[in-house]
Amino acid sequence: MDTIHACFKEKIGEVLLPGDVFSFRLPESGDGSIKSEKIICGPGLRRNGEEVRVCKSGILRHKQPNMYWIDSQQRRYVPAKGESVIGIVTTKSGDVFKVDVGGSEQASLSYLAFEGATKRNRPNVQVGDLVYGQFTIANKDMEPELVCIDSCGRANGMGVFGADGLLFKVSLGLVRRLLAPQSEIIKDLEKIFPFELVVGMNGRVWVKAKTVQQTLIVTNLLETSENMTSQQRQTLFKRVAEGSL
Amino acid sequence: MSPMKLCVPGERLCSTEDCIPGTGTYLRHGYIFASLAGYVLRKNEGEELPVISVVRETETQLLPDVGAIVTCKVTSINPRFAKVHILYVGSTPLKDRFRGTIRREDVRATEKDKVETHKSFRPGDIVLAKVISLGDVQSNYLLTTAENELGVVVAHSEAGAQMVPISWCEMQCPRTHAKEFRKVARVQPEYLQA
Repeated sequence: MDTIHACFKEKIGEVLLPGDVFSFRLPESGDGSIKSEKIICGPGLRRNGEEVRVCKSGILRHKQPNMYWIDSQQRRYVPAKGESVIGIVTTKSGDVFKVDVGGSEQASLSYLAFEGATKRNRPNVQVGDLVYGQFTIANKDMEPELVCIDSCGRANGMGVFGADGLLFKVSLGLVRRLLAPQSEIIKDLEKIFPFELVVGMNGRVWVKAKTVQQTLIVTNLLETSENMTSQQRQTLFKRVAEGSL
Repeated sequence: MSPMKLCVPGERLCSTEDCIPGTGTYLRHGYIFASLAGYVLRKNEGEELPVISVVRETETQLLPDVGAIVTCKVTSINPRFAKVHILYVGSTPLKDRFRGTIRREDVRATEKDKVETHKSFRPGDIVLAKVISLGDVQSNYLLTTAENELGVVVAHSEAGAQMVPISWCEMQCPRTHAKEFRKVARVQPEYLQA
């Protein structure tokens, strides 16, 4: 039980580079009491026959009971199925909108993929609008497809948004931290002043607060909290909260 | 062999009483005319009259015909169809690559509307298909894989290894053991090499 997990355990929390190999020499099959272990390789790890190779540089993370993955930082987004992203509508051609999601190709969004949309009742989407949607098809061989509707047919928060506010780009690692269930950054930010926030997994964040100045303050705080430890961040937020009162 | 006679389209070859028209010719007003530029070939087929035909080169070029089984390579996929290059007709390789299209509704015989092209083919796959139509001037050959023996024969996984079929809709990579979806052809056992 311990051979495979032990190989990984000593490297949890360490920085690994692409090309690092975990090879397991299983003991000779003399005794039949070997339990088969199952390990789930997450993003950044790939199995190659009898060994596991690292594909991306980053920190090895572990989640009970048997999931391992590499936590890597990158700014370039690669569309993946099921992820919710913020896109900008670039063209309207026939029944389909072309949406820029920051990937290598523009995604297509059908006009029927909105809540309550029928052939007669077209959604009110113009070029330049912001849309929040999910990918239904996203692989390296075809252009990705977005929908603003979930499997039951309800919008569930997706669709066109953002009459005002500011859209800016951050790294994918920060986006994952913001979207974590108990995100400390969000909790600390809430204490300063109220604002609206939409986070897309393609690294795009949209913010709107009561005044333009507050919007810009929130934008700057989010951009700088990428490279700060939590303590530095909390002192900075406290300073800003006192200064704005 | 006597030297072959050259002809151009529109040239009158002979009358219907002397020969039977073959490929590359057409009948008009009781005479046989050539429709291609090439060599005139007269063959005695064993019937009463010889067959006269026009060929481009000395060997006859095999063109994909309706109902022929062709081997093709997928070049690009689309939610509605897959584009392929036809490489072999039967077991003869072609000199030029003809283009073909496999529409989404022609991939399978059952559940045609639930087909997803990215789960049936990927660029680079070698596919066995059947020609259903020659198409117009601009469109390509229309192909179908809606039979058990038609579909993907050779495919490579994301890791680069050649995959092994495990069912009619899945293939597995021997190196990473990851499964991928394809519309797999059921090759007859006598054609499989050990």
